[in-house]
Amino acid sequence: MSGEIASATNAVAAYRRLNNVVGSKQLESMPDRTMAKLLLIEDDDETAEEIVGELTHRGYTLVRAETGTHGLDLARTGEHDVLIVDRLLPGIDGLAIIESLRREQIRTPVLVLSALGALDERVRGLRAGGDDYLSKPFALVELVARIEALLRRPAVGRETRLRVGPLELDLIDRSATRGGRTLDLLPREFRLLEYMMRRPDQMVTRAMLFEDVWNYRFVPDSNLVDVHMGKLRHKVDAPGEEPLIHNVRGAGFILRTNV
Amino acid sequence: MFSRFRSTTIRWALAIGCAFLLCIAVLFGFVYWQTTVYLTEHFDRLIERQAKTIAALPPGDWNGAVRERADPDRVASAGIFDTAGHRISGNIANLPSHLVPDGIAAGVTITRVDPDGQRAQLVRAVAVKLGYSEWLVVGRSIQEDDAFAKIIERALALSLLPALALAMLAGALLSKGARQRIEAWTALVGQIYAGNLQQRLPVIENDHPFDKLSAIINGMLDHIEELVGQLANVGNDVAHDLRTPLTRVRATLERARDNAQTVDELRGAADRAIVGLDQSLNVITALLRIAAIEHGRRTTEFGSVDLAEIVGTAVELYDPIADNRRIQLDTEFKDAVAIVGDRDLLFEAAANLIDNAIKFTPEGGKVSVAIFRSAGDVVLQVSDTGPGIGEAEREVVTQRFYRADKSRRAPGAGLGLSLVAAIVKLHGFRLDIRGGPGCIIEVICPTESLPR
Repeated sequence: MSGEIASATNAVAAYRRLNNVVGSKQLESMPDRTMAKLLLIEDDDETAEEIVGELTHRGYTLVRAETGTHGLDLARTGEHDVLIVDRLLPGIDGLAIIESLRREQIRTPVLVLSALGALDERVRGLRAGGDDYLSKPFALVELVARIEALLRRPAVGRETRLRVGPLELDLIDRSATRGGRTLDLLPREFRLLEYMMRRPDQMVTRAMLFEDVWNYRFVPDSNLVDVHMGKLRHKVDAPGEEPLIHNVRGAGFILRTNV
Repeated sequence: MFSRFRSTTIRWALAIGCAFLLCIAVLFGFVYWQTTVYLTEHFDRLIERQAKTIAALPPGDWNGAVRERADPDRVASAGIFDTAGHRISGNIANLPSHLVPDGIAAGVTITRVDPDGQRAQLVRAVAVKLGYSEWLVVGRSIQEDDAFAKIIERALALSLLPALALAMLAGALLSKGARQRIEAWTALVGQIYAGNLQQRLPVIENDHPFDKLSAIINGMLDHIEELVGQLANVGNDVAHDLRTPLTRVRATLERARDNAQTVDELRGAADRAIVGLDQSLNVITALLRIAAIEHGRRTTEFGSVDLAEIVGTAVELYDPIADNRRIQLDTEFKDAVAIVGDRDLLFEAAANLIDNAIKFTPEGGKVSVAIFRSAGDVVLQVSDTGPGIGEAEREVVTQRFYRADKSRRAPGAGLGLSLVAAIVKLHGFRLDIRGGPGCIIEVICPTESLPR
């Protein structure tokens, strides 16, 4: 009996050790972040635990509210950087929370989570004042990438040139160079690179690219975006050059500047 | 259940009985009214004629003729009056007011003088001038008609009971017939509910409303039976399509647990496992999407969209993939084509059609995407040089999970065309699958869906 307990404990400890190794390595691969404060409004314990676990592990400070009413009270303080709001909550509905916050001029970015399969839901979520929408089940990396994106929204600048590391885009000529070498890009590749350059050192997922670069809501085969990205990378990172576009396995892509 | 039918029967019988009685009463009323009108006219002509006859007599016979009319039956009345309105002879006490000496009958009240006294009487009367001074009045009681009314009333009263009984009987028979059919239906529907989906409702005459309803319900049952059959197959297919990647995931994880020496090896296994799980999740996502499209009424997001732009983007998305497989991807459209629809869903449909065509076309083949107008319809056509779809399979390829056997090796969950079919159906478009050389799939958007 006690032997079984001991072996189970050992197994858990071993798992934790392994997790720490993997986790710290992943942390290294992600850019450093200021201690952003997040508020999670989610009634389902299991989902909440998973999200809290992942995000705290990644260095975020996370507060969780179990009910809509409590969540709304906390959100009203306006001291959070991003709100993660479940669509279906007991008591106050997720959309109602967002609507009342927006009415009160609280503009904290909101990521809506929903298990609702209905197709209109996303539109309704965004119309209510949400900034992004993720339907369950989702991969945790997708959640993290979208929170990052909300935390570091690119400035909607009127700039005509973008410069990231050796890369330079002329948004008027639609021309691209890397360290003086002209890149011969197709229009879509140009937009792909522009999107990445507006989010340097930030992971972008395939779904994000698809939504923002192709401008369609669609869940393409994962290799579809990869093929496009592969062609772009082939042009950006010539043989012998330090690669700028990196593939984050199972998650998405990063344009790295700290090479 | 039974007592409810019983009370329904009684209510029906009563209702029919009451309606019947009402009809009888209206009928009798009409007969009475028409007869009264006829009799009045008949007697009017009669007294008008009599007045003329008397007036035409020599003046010496007038009083005699008037006296002759003053019968003891108290029906007829007559009188001669001087210019001041005083009675000269006859059984009418004084000249009735409102009576005009025009020889046309009118209804007035007179005071009748009989040997046993005077009394008021309602009469039809006519007045004419005799010579220059005297008036002649000839009247006829219309109270005599009351007798006629009494006859009609009695007839009504006598016929009422048998009529009511007959009506109730007819009502009971009618509703009993309906009840028996409904009871038969209840029994049959009960059997169907219990799971006997082959059972059908009887259709006796095609024109009877009950039979029309039966035919509709039978059609519905045919559809349900078909769907239930499909569902059973889909269940098997889902299980199969989920089990294959999950079995692989399990094997991968198991091997890694037993054999992995380093964290990197373990991570590699985890990555492979995630790919497998993603495949399973994709199957589920696609199924949920099809269900959402089929059951949703997502017409709120419909608007005028440019099909050429949507399809163009889809073609561009798949261009590198076609390129990698050395497949020539051609487009045959340039100008904007406005149709009404949901942009994202139409994109998904176009993408799936192109994806499907590329998947099933061997290397070095060709896929053509065209948009054209045909007989007022807008047609999106995707054709390829792949193996095509056999005639027998064309119907079933749009069903969930169906995949032509020869292409079973191609990757994909076999949900693409069913997703397209669901989107096409939601838009009220048509899907046409033909064999050419290769396969030709057309989405036909009828003109009615074009913006006016």
